[in-house]
Amino acid sequence: MALLAWILHNFWSLLVACLLALVGLRIVWRIHKYGATRDELAYILRRSPFYLLVLTFCFFAAAPFLIMFMHTFKTDGDLYRRPQPFVFRQDPTLEHLDALFNNTAYLEFIRNSVVVGIAVVIITLVLSLPAAYALARLTGRWGERAAILMFLVYLVPPTLLFIPMFRIVVLLGLKDDPMSLIVVYPSFTVPFSMWLLSGFFKAVPPELEEAALVDGYNRVEAFLRVVLPLSLPGIISTIVFTFTLTLHEFIYGLVFIADTSQRTLSVGVPTELILGDVYFWQPLLAAALIIAIPVGLAYNLFLDSLVQGFTMGAVKG
Amino acid sequence: MSIVQVTGLRKYFDAVRAVDGVDLAIEQGEFLVILGPSGCGKTTLMRMIAGLEKPTAGKIHIGGEDVTDLPPRKRGVSMVFQSYALYPHMNVFNNIAFPLRAQRRELKFDKRAIREKVENTARLLEIDMLLDRRPRQLSGGQRQRVAIARAMVTKPAVLLLDEPLSNLDAKLRANARDELKDFQRSSDITAVFVTHDQIEAMGLGDRIVVMSEGKIQQIGSPQHIYDDPANEFVATFLGSPSMNILSSDGFRFGFRPEHFLPKTLNDNPDNARILQYYVKRVEYLGSDRLVYGYVHGHEDKLTLAKVPSNVRVSLDIEGDYEFAVHNSDIKYFDAVNGRRIEQQNLARAL
Repeated sequence: MALLAWILHNFWSLLVACLLALVGLRIVWRIHKYGATRDELAYILRRSPFYLLVLTFCFFAAAPFLIMFMHTFKTDGDLYRRPQPFVFRQDPTLEHLDALFNNTAYLEFIRNSVVVGIAVVIITLVLSLPAAYALARLTGRWGERAAILMFLVYLVPPTLLFIPMFRIVVLLGLKDDPMSLIVVYPSFTVPFSMWLLSGFFKAVPPELEEAALVDGYNRVEAFLRVVLPLSLPGIISTIVFTFTLTLHEFIYGLVFIADTSQRTLSVGVPTELILGDVYFWQPLLAAALIIAIPVGLAYNLFLDSLVQGFTMGAVKG
Repeated sequence: MSIVQVTGLRKYFDAVRAVDGVDLAIEQGEFLVILGPSGCGKTTLMRMIAGLEKPTAGKIHIGGEDVTDLPPRKRGVSMVFQSYALYPHMNVFNNIAFPLRAQRRELKFDKRAIREKVENTARLLEIDMLLDRRPRQLSGGQRQRVAIARAMVTKPAVLLLDEPLSNLDAKLRANARDELKDFQRSSDITAVFVTHDQIEAMGLGDRIVVMSEGKIQQIGSPQHIYDDPANEFVATFLGSPSMNILSSDGFRFGFRPEHFLPKTLNDNPDNARILQYYVKRVEYLGSDRLVYGYVHGHEDKLTLAKVPSNVRVSLDIEGDYEFAVHNSDIKYFDAVNGRRIEQQNLARAL
């Protein structure tokens, strides 16, 4: 606790010290490798504006998360009295994290969100893989029309659909059950995934499939053995996108489920931690930060295939 | 008994008649080349034999069995694609083993049998040191060999090749042509080879099928279709530079540039046709001289002559010369439908 307090009190100095240490280490390493010649020093000087620019951009990208992190540990007095987002004037506290985990159903929200997310990802893949393949290979007039029709479905906003959807959910007896979200979310994830995947499938040359057909496989086997492995980056980006779509969906989650313990993160956290016009900022920010970390890691891990997914959709979609 | 029998085959893409009534018998062990300009339907014909395209009408028999409605995997054919279509996510070994694994259940191959067959085929095509590589690490020629190895490993009844040499550079192509022919002869496989390149066709084919506008124009040995073309299309499509065609009353006649020589070189002037030839320009091509000019009375049509460089006839000055063609080297064609007319029937036709 004392260590945490010390770190948080000196957060910015420590951050700057860490960065300076890194830069220093790199300079030392270069001098060790190439020798401390005039050229080497000139090179380091020449590169410094570039690194400064990179650091500035990094700061802009990271600052919201750093501030969220700091606010999580601030006492009410420190937070509300003339806001100073960058410094601690009182000792940090863990009481808000404690409140988040013990006084709200945060862990249940996470569990519900993960269950719903995984189930929706599976349903979406099962439906959209064959559909996207059909759209990619049916290049005739009807294929194009079908693709446009599917995409029109995606364009109908949930704000229009949630009332009829609610009637259906009640009819199915799924009110106050995360199951209702598993049933309803594919209505927007499937069209989106189909559009994304068909771009990847179109990039697989048809001759490869024809070769597999001549080599002795039927169409399904050719798809599984040739098309699917070659569009793996597309499938990974579809999984990540679909999961995050379900993670931040709000209206359906709010309307279909009134029982707090059955709610998902995107609905549960704000409804529990915003009472009227009172915002419990510290636990709110902590809740958002904790769930942002794994998602951010997933995005970074698959960054290349995600970028490919977007650009491919841009060209072929 | 022919191994592939195609009868009355048609394929229409909406209004386009890609293949328009083709009858063809391919014999066991022969190297058959389908030759034609792009868009003549030759690739569509091959894709229908492979089962990748469903015919609009007609029948295909392979090995005596009607395969018209069978999927590609049940036809006992393999195919080498123009782009080679190697599976980029597998190494060379797995690419070649791919068709064996597909048929593992029916033919009961175990792992060791697959390894043995892949290695034997790879050795035959001299790619056995590349088995661990991925397709993108291979050169064009190596990719082509892998594609052929993959097609050959199951010992198919018929090997279909769709312009497999067109992605190679010119030097490699001549070499690959020679190896392909050797390989086909030694393995005694039936090969059907589609190309638009007449040199490939003449060099490789036991028989050549010349196609145009979805129809077969002529079938025959390379020499037969070169010396004895069935119609004006075949006559002008084969040979470079192509046959000179001149109009006469009610018919057209043609002769090849290499048969059109100065009169003094002609050993049998009695049996030859003498033409007044106005020489405009001469191109020196090393072994030959290519002469551009006009035949007297046919000034509307540029006529070419190909004169060997080693004959001592001076053609350097622009002007009139006497040239001659053997009567047997002149082909006559119907002015309306382009069909060949035998010389003795000419009088009757007129």
